[in-house]
Amino acid sequence: MASEKKPSLGSVMVIGGCGFLGHHVVRLLFRDYSCSAVSVVDLRCTRNRRPESDGVAYYEADITDGAKLVDIFSKARPDVVIHTASPPAQSNDAVSHALFKKVNVDGTAAIVDACRKTGVKALVYTSSASVMSDNKSDLINADERWPVIRGADQSEYYSETKAAAEELVLAANRSPESPTLLTCAIRPSGIMGEGDTMVLYHMINIYRQGRNNVQVGNNENLFDFTYVENVAHGHLLAARALLLTAASSTIPLDHERVDGEAFLITNDQPVYFWDFCRAVWAAAGSPQGTESVRVLPRGLGIVLGYLSEVFFGIIGKPPTFNRQRIIFSCMTRYYDITKAKKRLGYKPLVSLEEGVRRSVKWTLDQEKEKN
Amino acid sequence: MVAASQVLYYLVRPTQLRSIIQWKVWHEPVHKRDPSKETATEKACFHYLNLTSRSFSAVIQELNPELLMPICLFYLVLRGLDTIEDDMTIDIATKEPLLRNFSQYMEQDGWTFDKNGPNEKDRELLVHFDDVIAELKRIKKPYYDVIKDITIQMGNGMADYALNAEQNINGVNTVEEYELYCHYVAGLVGEGLTRLFVESNLANPQLLVRMDLTESMGQFLQKTNIIRDVHEDYLDKRRFWPKDIWSKHVDTWDDLFKPENLDKALNCSSEMVLNALKHADECLFYMAGIRDQSVFNFVAIPQSMAISTLELVFRNPAIFSSHIKITKGDACSLMTESTQNLRVVCDVFRRYTRRIAKKNDPRDPNFLAISAQCGKIEQFIESIFPTQDPKKIAAGKAQQNPDAQMDTGEAFLLIMAVLLVLGAMGALMVGIAWFFGARFDGAVRQLDTIVSATASAIGSKLGHEEL
Repeated sequence: MASEKKPSLGSVMVIGGCGFLGHHVVRLLFRDYSCSAVSVVDLRCTRNRRPESDGVAYYEADITDGAKLVDIFSKARPDVVIHTASPPAQSNDAVSHALFKKVNVDGTAAIVDACRKTGVKALVYTSSASVMSDNKSDLINADERWPVIRGADQSEYYSETKAAAEELVLAANRSPESPTLLTCAIRPSGIMGEGDTMVLYHMINIYRQGRNNVQVGNNENLFDFTYVENVAHGHLLAARALLLTAASSTIPLDHERVDGEAFLITNDQPVYFWDFCRAVWAAAGSPQGTESVRVLPRGLGIVLGYLSEVFFGIIGKPPTFNRQRIIFSCMTRYYDITKAKKRLGYKPLVSLEEGVRRSVKWTLDQEKEKN
Repeated sequence: MVAASQVLYYLVRPTQLRSIIQWKVWHEPVHKRDPSKETATEKACFHYLNLTSRSFSAVIQELNPELLMPICLFYLVLRGLDTIEDDMTIDIATKEPLLRNFSQYMEQDGWTFDKNGPNEKDRELLVHFDDVIAELKRIKKPYYDVIKDITIQMGNGMADYALNAEQNINGVNTVEEYELYCHYVAGLVGEGLTRLFVESNLANPQLLVRMDLTESMGQFLQKTNIIRDVHEDYLDKRRFWPKDIWSKHVDTWDDLFKPENLDKALNCSSEMVLNALKHADECLFYMAGIRDQSVFNFVAIPQSMAISTLELVFRNPAIFSSHIKITKGDACSLMTESTQNLRVVCDVFRRYTRRIAKKNDPRDPNFLAISAQCGKIEQFIESIFPTQDPKKIAAGKAQQNPDAQMDTGEAFLLIMAVLLVLGAMGALMVGIAWFFGARFDGAVRQLDTIVSATASAIGSKLGHEEL
């Protein structure tokens, strides 16, 4: 393929470009686009680096350090900033809450500020589909018209900070302070892929510990999992659309606009929750069918989860098994991504089947290397 | 005559019997034929319809009077073509021009055909084809033109197929060939029907723009039949499953039917089901375009039968050794449900989709793809009949799950109450037993031994762990 045919994105900066999603964004930049320069900002730039020959400029910085960011932005002079940096959403204690607030909200505010000060044209922010979830109600074929759950209704503080940051980013679109800065947010659901140390790692562990023969609920709940390359692809389509909007003299019609908008991105292949787990287990070598699976009804699961919470509460430890886990595995949570398809021209590049195959292979290879 | 075995069958399966009675007693046709006003040739046509079709004759005869005769004749013409194509006693040199020119014969007054072999089941129809021809002359021109056009296309398609000796020997090779075959035998019929529905203003004219939806209707039915009939066709030395698919699982076609290859055969059949399921959402979309109840019933009944048949054959070893069908009771309840509205038919599709998903096997190479296809059907149904309303959720009226909402205190009280009631009941029963003279010392002594034995077992286990 001739490189002239690849769409141009100018000078691109990926924040969190050594992280799980970020390094896939950088990879796609080199594969599918032509860029005048690529820079990466991350807390540590030791892992997931591109080969020297690619000429990526790596900057180590804490994104909450506003002055340093402005300094880096002035050197790298990006047209497009893709902000993927976020701490892992796992823990749920006071320390991690402080970290979520600091990185997700304060860090994003600092990035918006740096964009404004250095004349960045387009900012794409990685939000999360979880901002629409109250972590207990179903989301059935939900699209962007569904409300963002905030404050007291939002039981996961991580999602609260992601939503706050998304609001900051979208409010900066064509704002009086910086009329030329265009922004949008991408809300991926259930990202998995090479470099993921959360979703698949835990699922494979469940299989290793022989706990894969219990199914909570009736497995009629559809769930969206998304292969990381598709999420990265969605980000870059959005960046491209923002640049095109910036170059045009008119403001697009409401039903076409990308700037100031949030977009759900999935694999467009919702599957039954336990089917996804079983597909992962099968890819990890499980020879089991479903004959030996015992079904734990949701109601009973909630009672057991509660008892476990009480028990661990008495002995003063965080519970390994709780009601939220039961509710999560029985929740229907899938999205309608028509908006991303129509306005961004988004279509998943890699099917869910292939995504699971690649991701599980990567996780197993990592284990082998460690041993 | 009702056999004793049948009586027994329905005695142990009352819901099946209930469905049959429900259909027979409560089904009220939207339209009914009026034989008193029919001509002799019209009556003859319905006679041949009943003779040649089991599944379609009833629904055709309940159609809107505007389309009753045109669709009856359309069916008979295609059945006539099929009877020539199927007959292996007619040599290809005779067969080919018959098929290609059938659209001309159907215009000749008094044309009949009696060269079918004596065992050809529908030969009677062609022997008396002049009755069909007489009625064809009486229907409205636009309807006649549709029938003629489809007859030309199908006659040529069948002739090509009959000439294609390689395909007759080796069967269908690629998925494209497979779908082309389904197009000729079912997609074309669908095309003719859609044009008749739109012409008579009983369906949305947009269906003519989206002919791919019509194609899906035919493909879904035909593919389902091809999967279900695999054993019957195997005995007849015919093969419709494309080599592209089965060669991924077994080396030769015969291997598919060997008991030792059952696992591979099931994986192969589930790939065939996956291939058929990809049409399901478009079938529902098509049915949304129908404006007349009798036409809706006519198109919905076969589709519901097809999704339930797919569920029946999915990962079912019996398809490789016998001919299986959905039960009469299930067929009747499906007919009841398919003669209401799109929403009820969507519920049928969702029900069977979920059953398919539950039979899905993680060891199947297409496990996740099948799950995703089931998800796609469910998602499509949600898109036409949404469960949630974002405005209501935003207004805080979201229907929340009471289980999930229950707070800690409430749950604790509930559990305590249950334990208290259980304890009180137990004590009451023991008390009554004691009051009437039951002795517990033996039981207590036994319990003692069990407890001490368990305690020592646990103790020794802990001891080992400490080592």
